[in-house]
Amino acid sequence: MANDELTTKQVSIPETAPPKTSIGVLGWLKENLFSSWINTILTVVFGTIVYLIVVNTIEWIFFKAEWYVISANFKLLMVGQYPVEELFRVWIAFTLISLLMGLSWGIWKGTMGHLTIAMTAIYIIVASLPFVLIETRIWLLVNIALIIATYFLGKRLTKFKKYILIGWFLMFPVTMILLSGFGVFDRVGTNLWGGFLLTLLIAIVAIVFSFPLGVLLALGRRSKLPVVKWFCVAYIELIRGVPLITILFVAQLMLPMFLGEGVNIDNVIRAMVGFTLFSAAYLAENIRGGLQSIPRGQFEAAEALGLNATFKTVFIILPQSLRAVIPAMVGQFIGIFKDTSLVAIVGLTDLLGMGKNIISNPEFLGTQMEVFLFVALVFLVFCNMMSYASRRLEGALGVGTR
Amino acid sequence: MFEEFNSETPLDQREDIVVCNNINKWFGSLHVLKDVNLTVKQGEVVCILGPSGSGKSTFIRTVNGLEEIQKGEITVDGIPLSNDLSDIEAIRKETGMVFQSFNLFPHMTILKNITLAPIWVRKWPKAKAEKIAMELLERVGIPEQADKYPGQLSGGQQQRVAIARALAMQPKILLFDEPTSALDPEMIKEVLDVIKTLAGSGITMMVVTHEMNFAREVADRIVLFDFGEIIEVGSPSELFDNPKHDRTKLFLSQIL
Ligand SMILES: Nc1ncnc2c1ncn2[C@@H]1O[C@H](COP(=O)(O)OP(=O)(O)OP(=O)(O)O)[C@@H](O)[C@H]1O
Ligand SMILES: [Mg+2]
Repeated sequence: MANDELTTKQVSIPETAPPKTSIGVLGWLKENLFSSWINTILTVVFGTIVYLIVVNTIEWIFFKAEWYVISANFKLLMVGQYPVEELFRVWIAFTLISLLMGLSWGIWKGTMGHLTIAMTAIYIIVASLPFVLIETRIWLLVNIALIIATYFLGKRLTKFKKYILIGWFLMFPVTMILLSGFGVFDRVGTNLWGGFLLTLLIAIVAIVFSFPLGVLLALGRRSKLPVVKWFCVAYIELIRGVPLITILFVAQLMLPMFLGEGVNIDNVIRAMVGFTLFSAAYLAENIRGGLQSIPRGQFEAAEALGLNATFKTVFIILPQSLRAVIPAMVGQFIGIFKDTSLVAIVGLTDLLGMGKNIISNPEFLGTQMEVFLFVALVFLVFCNMMSYASRRLEGALGVGTR
Repeated sequence: MFEEFNSETPLDQREDIVVCNNINKWFGSLHVLKDVNLTVKQGEVVCILGPSGSGKSTFIRTVNGLEEIQKGEITVDGIPLSNDLSDIEAIRKETGMVFQSFNLFPHMTILKNITLAPIWVRKWPKAKAEKIAMELLERVGIPEQADKYPGQLSGGQQQRVAIARALAMQPKILLFDEPTSALDPEMIKEVLDVIKTLAGSGITMMVVTHEMNFAREVADRIVLFDFGEIIEVGSPSELFDNPKHDRTKLFLSQIL
């Protein structure tokens, strides 16, 4: 009200054009690259270096590199030793995810849409690679069609947000059951899971489970109950004081010991537990930072309204704290995603591990560059998607604050 | 809406709603409340004045348990304030509080800010809570801001939302801690006007303020604090026109 009055009554200021800054390409070049002798020399030297790097890289990528190492091992890199005749299970899980992505795109638009489009672009690129199997191509095309179809469906289903969210939560157990087998499906031991599939699964499990654990640890660390508080402090400091590799070894060796002789947990689960426990401690510290940033007035306002401790935490404190630490948390998630490559040390073959196996095969001698570049590219694409999502999320949640 | 007694009844014949009995509070070794005694009647408007640092905020915050006291008893709406969380929460249900710095929840819309406690503490259905919230926004003069976020509002508007939020719980007592001190001069009036309309509605109010004219106009009684003690209590005319205590005179001479 008062605002409106102010803006409408504003005195009109004579309009002036902004000072000209654009003075043509040549002007720009002169001003930024050749403004003095030193700058000119620097420009020439770095120009030459960049030119050489770019030319040689392009030449290598398009003419020298032996990309057949990727095409011949594409399946291994993606899913490891997962039996070929059971691959359709991976595809079913994949298709369910596409379905959810399409629906979410339709419902939420914005960031969900951008990410889905990015995924679709990746599908299209993979589907158009010359070497992929015809089956793969068909599955991918089905998925692309499904995403587009469910996008339009999603646009009409905006009332069903809750169910889509539940769908996303169910996706994880469904995928695990599908992949490891149940009922009609044969068991596929996790020792056969590998490649990018394994990387993704470990990362997703670690992220999904370490988040609530991290929240609880962070809250516990601020608890008034000394037992809870000291347990959380001890846990966080213990984990943060030990290298990840050590934790992975401990998870491999000690977990079976803690749980008794009879229980046999497989390697992959042990690694997942290790990553989750590790990530939770770091997340807890990030989240604690967020909790500390909430002004006392917010607690008091919540208390004065009669909200109990749980409501106060869930509705007032946590949402604001988490929002404040999204960048730090996503940084942590990206770190975990990349750290999954450490599982090679405990005998699992993730994407990188599979790459290393392939180059040690005499048949593919001398193709390290190609393999590592491919692995790097896959990581790069996914990590960038995560940090993009984080920036968007931050923007979206920042509405109206400050 | 708050009428639970006959407002025609003279103040001294009404029920006590806030009773503070010899309360004492220390911050470390700093004795900030010294044997404070005050009884507030239903529907009474009490304004609390005093120099900066005299313990006014601390005192008003003890009433809804935001500050613990070390000695003495407080009874609010018949419930003795103890360390028992359920007692404190029961008291907070019946007392709304408006802060100097608004303390709206920045991540929620205005409507959500107001309906949160009614829905989760009073367990009202969402529709009812929203209906009452809109009525309150109407009453404080900003119904069109319901879907905005606090950061998009002016200070005066934010404080009016904070008042609506406190009222939404339909409390018996409203506590104000310098509700206009963080506002630009041109916004003070709009907030004071809202508080004035409440003063006639039958709700009990305790208001810490530096606005002397406002206090004189709305208060049934004025309490003067200094150095953690109540120096003088009286009706506005008694206190402003005929102060008995030297420190009251001194305070008034500095303010007026
Ligand atoms: N959390 C705290 N810890 C320690 N000392 C405090 C705390 N809060 C207030 N005090 C001290 O207690 C005394 C009373 O403070 P209080 O805020 O109640 O004063 P006030 O009368 O509200 O003053 P003002 O008009 O400036 O708001 C002051 O000396 C203050 O420094
Ligand atoms: Mg104060």
